[in-house]
Amino acid sequence: MSSTNGKIKIGFYICHCGTNIAGIIDVQKVVDYAATLPNVVVSKHYKYMCSDPGQEMIQKDIKDNELNRVVVAACSPLLHERTFRNATSQAGLNQFYFQMVNTREQNAWVHLDPEASTDKAMDLVRSAVNRVAFHKPLEKKTVPIKPDVLVVGGGIAGIHASLTLANAGKKVYLVERDPTIGGHMAMFDKTFPTLDCAACILTPKMSAVKNHPNITMWTYSEVVSVDGYVGNFQVKVKRKPRYIIDDLCVGCLDCIEACVYKEPRFFDEFNQGLSKRKPVYMPFPQATPQLVVIDPETCIWFKTGKCKQTCVEVCDRKAVDLNQQPTYKEIEVGTIIVATGFQPFDAKKVYYYGYGTYPNVYTALEVERLINASGPTSGEVVMRDGSRPKSIAIVHCVGSRDKNTNLWCSRVCCLYSLKLAHLLKEHTHANIYNFYIDIRTPGKMMDEFYTRISEEGVKFIRGRVADIYPDTNDEEHRRLIVKAEDTLISEIIKVPVDMVVLSTGLVPRDDAQDVRRMLNISCSTEGFFIERHPKLAPVNTFTDGIFLAGCCQGPKDIPDTVAQAGAAAAEALALIDLGYIELEPNTAFIVEEECSGCKSCVPLCPYTAISYDEVKKKASINEALCKGCGTCVASCPSGSIKQNLFEDEEIYSEIDGILNYKMEEALC
Amino acid sequence: MLKIEIEEAASKQWQPKIVAFFCNWCTYTAADLAGVSRIKHAPNIRVIRVMCSGRVDPQFILDSFAKGADGVLIGGCHPGDCHYQEGNYKFLRRFQMLRRVVDSLGIEKDRLRLEWISASEGDKVRIVVNDMVAKIKALGPLGLPVKYKEWANEMNVLESEIAGKEEVYA
Amino acid sequence: MIVELDAIRGVTLDTIYDSSEGTLIQTCIQCGTCAGACPYGEYMDYPPRRIIKMLQHGLIDKVFNTDSMLKCVNCYACMMKCPREIHLTEVLLQLVKEQTVIKLPVVPPELQKALENNYRYGNPMGESGRKRANWVQTSTVPIRILSQNPEPVDVLWFVESYPAYHPRGQDTCRAIAKILSALDVDFAILGNEEKSAGECGLLSWESGLAEALVDYNMAILSKYKFNRIITSDPHALDAFNFRYKMYGFKPNVTHIVPFVMQYLDKLKPMLRKTLGYSVTYHDSCCLGRHNNYYEEPRTLLKSIQGVKLIEMVHNRINSICCGGGGGGMWLDTYFKSQNMERLSDIRIREAIDTGADVLAVVCPYEIPRFEDALKVAGYDKKMAVKDIMELVCEAMED
Repeated sequence: MSSTNGKIKIGFYICHCGTNIAGIIDVQKVVDYAATLPNVVVSKHYKYMCSDPGQEMIQKDIKDNELNRVVVAACSPLLHERTFRNATSQAGLNQFYFQMVNTREQNAWVHLDPEASTDKAMDLVRSAVNRVAFHKPLEKKTVPIKPDVLVVGGGIAGIHASLTLANAGKKVYLVERDPTIGGHMAMFDKTFPTLDCAACILTPKMSAVKNHPNITMWTYSEVVSVDGYVGNFQVKVKRKPRYIIDDLCVGCLDCIEACVYKEPRFFDEFNQGLSKRKPVYMPFPQATPQLVVIDPETCIWFKTGKCKQTCVEVCDRKAVDLNQQPTYKEIEVGTIIVATGFQPFDAKKVYYYGYGTYPNVYTALEVERLINASGPTSGEVVMRDGSRPKSIAIVHCVGSRDKNTNLWCSRVCCLYSLKLAHLLKEHTHANIYNFYIDIRTPGKMMDEFYTRISEEGVKFIRGRVADIYPDTNDEEHRRLIVKAEDTLISEIIKVPVDMVVLSTGLVPRDDAQDVRRMLNISCSTEGFFIERHPKLAPVNTFTDGIFLAGCCQGPKDIPDTVAQAGAAAAEALALIDLGYIELEPNTAFIVEEECSGCKSCVPLCPYTAISYDEVKKKASINEALCKGCGTCVASCPSGSIKQNLFEDEEIYSEIDGILNYKMEEALC
Repeated sequence: MLKIEIEEAASKQWQPKIVAFFCNWCTYTAADLAGVSRIKHAPNIRVIRVMCSGRVDPQFILDSFAKGADGVLIGGCHPGDCHYQEGNYKFLRRFQMLRRVVDSLGIEKDRLRLEWISASEGDKVRIVVNDMVAKIKALGPLGLPVKYKEWANEMNVLESEIAGKEEVYA
Repeated sequence: MIVELDAIRGVTLDTIYDSSEGTLIQTCIQCGTCAGACPYGEYMDYPPRRIIKMLQHGLIDKVFNTDSMLKCVNCYACMMKCPREIHLTEVLLQLVKEQTVIKLPVVPPELQKALENNYRYGNPMGESGRKRANWVQTSTVPIRILSQNPEPVDVLWFVESYPAYHPRGQDTCRAIAKILSALDVDFAILGNEEKSAGECGLLSWESGLAEALVDYNMAILSKYKFNRIITSDPHALDAFNFRYKMYGFKPNVTHIVPFVMQYLDKLKPMLRKTLGYSVTYHDSCCLGRHNNYYEEPRTLLKSIQGVKLIEMVHNRINSICCGGGGGGMWLDTYFKSQNMERLSDIRIREAIDTGADVLAVVCPYEIPRFEDALKVAGYDKKMAVKDIMELVCEAMED
């Protein structure tokens, strides 16, 4: 810096971003204007500043013109600030001698008037040029990363992410809310487009999870709190009482046999209520872990306090413990993968499709169970009224693409409808009618699958079903009429069918908002978790160290879910293997000589980073605890707290710049 | 005036300038989202990024008005969603006090606005900005720097008058 | 949903695209739900979906030169199911319909007569305006008429034409009067000064006539001081809630059912008589689909002792229109000429299938329509059609 003699020399660059920015903002005008601003010695524009030549241009100018500050007007700093800071530091300058102007996301992309956009850009450039003069050289702090990972959700996404991490030698805590891992995929019969059996490909992975020495699998458990930050999260997990002692149960199922309820009579969640279970049950034969569970909602002992407790008696290993209480585990992890999945749209919300009113109207998930060999009917398609369907309507887009319910296309319904059409035809030889708005089959081998199903004689009717009602001409059978317009021939058609399958969309979990709050991540308005960037950071969240996998981020099929889970695991691994994380140096500090010791800052800090030194009568900030929000800075009456990167002078200089305010002019 | 001149005058009508303080995690991200979604809105705001709305010092707001802002907008995370747990509440308390000060200074209510805009609410950025710009356009310029100059001149005149009289009496 | 007035008068492609529906029309995904939901969809050359596509392609003349929209009974079935929330019944189809009637070589005479009557006498039946309040003399409780006693009143009861003139409508009126007076409601009617409200469906086909009636009623209503308006005619409710608002008249208007529901606690002890009927309830299109009152009429029915409520196959949002809306009241002959079955005949079969003793309704059009349909079905001895207010009144008798 000696060669510049303490003089500030700013290099200013504006990016065209192809035509994204230059298409609306007059970059030449901005460059000419920036050149007139104080301390600016270089002012240039370039097609892609973030490209190598763009960065090299900055670095060359730093060397040739002895620049000691850099301002780049380009996209959002949330996207490329890091890139340009690196470029700055590689040229030997402290990386925080850099300031970025958001000219794309918050300017060129949202305004129509070139003149107004250019004016706005010039205001913000002036502001940045003002600000950067006040920048100080700072160093990034590093904190070590705890190598353990928490995976929330034990569906295929959570399973795959856990195995990937565990195979790389990392310790994984897999927390699943239900009594078994497996998620929705375990309920499916076959998978499109290859028609391989879901259980055959999933269950080996489930047992791999259970047997993996690096995976601690906690089923029937929920994460109840998450504190801390990337590298060092403190997580509390509630293990709900199963009323079975894990270590003692061998899954012999004698207790189920011995239950005082001789017949199963309660809603079986795994089979969507198409079969019944007892209060003590195993969710499904391949459930992992192979542990039974007692449901206190239906168990007579918990409801009345009176029962012979035959289940306790029969277990010679003494594994049944009706006095079990919830336990809490506290763990420390460095990264978290969220794989909480989806839930199917509640078909009752489309009232006119008669789900819940007419017994022969089914949801797609129910049909998955119905055609599954280990399902409630052992794979025979027998309807609730005991009959076998000779004609079946599959109604697409139930709850999807509809402003009254959900706007989005759930992406998988067309394909699973085609799959169900094939399977139902195989099982029943029934006539099958697909009522669709558009058939969407993107992806490898998907449209070929559509062709194959068409060849099998499945009928396709282009029209959204408007009404489903019983056929009054068919009293005993309770056949249903499906009414729609076949829009391709412009005829209103009424198709009598025995069975209706509603292809319901995928929606966020009911408690997605609670999970979001707990993890401090964001949800879209629909309720799916938001990725950091839709293209460039699809598994990251805005919170460092927390990654997304599977349908909690948006509807997707199994291949994409697995791919995303792998990506999330890789992102976590990248952090863990580096071993540390660099933190923004935006922490606060106290200028001791100016502190009056009023203590107003002390209670403001949510991280208890501020303490009061009784001897010196001054406040002091523990930099290791400070997260850099700046709340204390804004409230210090004596102005003795400062925040790196957001010092008062820096912000005031931005205000001056935006408003083109010059003290000298104002005073004369 | 000729028709062209009238049109020119109309197109160059006064445009308010609004200084905005957006928190890094919610509202700044929402404004970026508005960009990615190409949600067009009025070009009158100039955003200053802070890490948290809790960083916004009332002095920043008063300073912006004093230096010529026609409006000041603060955007933070929704209550309960603050990235730093409760910085937005801390700012809300300050804001309620500041609101009274700003009122008593005779600055119209619509010129100062606090909005909770989450990272997913790109469209809310449009709604808030457009609404605020429309309301401030109706109010006209605040123009405090100009007023300060006028007041300073008045004071100078008064002072010199008094000085003149004092001379006479002296 | 309020559409710009100018857009209604002269409809061109531009006015449609300039209206609030313009953008929505462009978002149509051509799913055909509207056509499938339409009770007469199968009889239309151009069901709503095709009309939208034709408008998208600028084929406006072709759209206007078809009688498809004459078959629309304003039942809101398409609109409520539209996944793009296009305001078909409220705006789009109205704009098309008016032009259809204008371009029709011959307007069905029955309809023509009803329009003329409305214009000349203020009611579609062609009855003398001076006889509008005659039914009051048959009421067992006193009814205040504002022209005779213009003191401010809490509740202004807009009686409407069918209740005022039709003998069965008058039965409902007497029941309502009795209920209101038992509930100590301070109410009054306009009497002979009242004219047809300018019912949403029918008169949207004739903006000029609608405006004349709206202007007239607004002038009359502005003479008096009242807090709120009630009406037993869901069509009048719609007229006030959706049409009058466009002309700047924004009173607080409620249908009699939700109004009485506000007094349910007071009313319940008065319902001493056990009726012992099984009842099926027909959702009126205007009250149900358009104003979202599905549960109120059912709750009111269930609060009557001895009433067993049975649902028809099509209920709530999925209800089938009685065929009287959108001018259907005066198009039965025309529909017959087109080989279209009356919707009231279709609907009554669903009611009969329930085996109920009583078909409960809330709209004055429905009583004559369903009573006639029952006769056609030869079932009029086994089932009675009653307004809910009649049932409530019956339960109040000792």
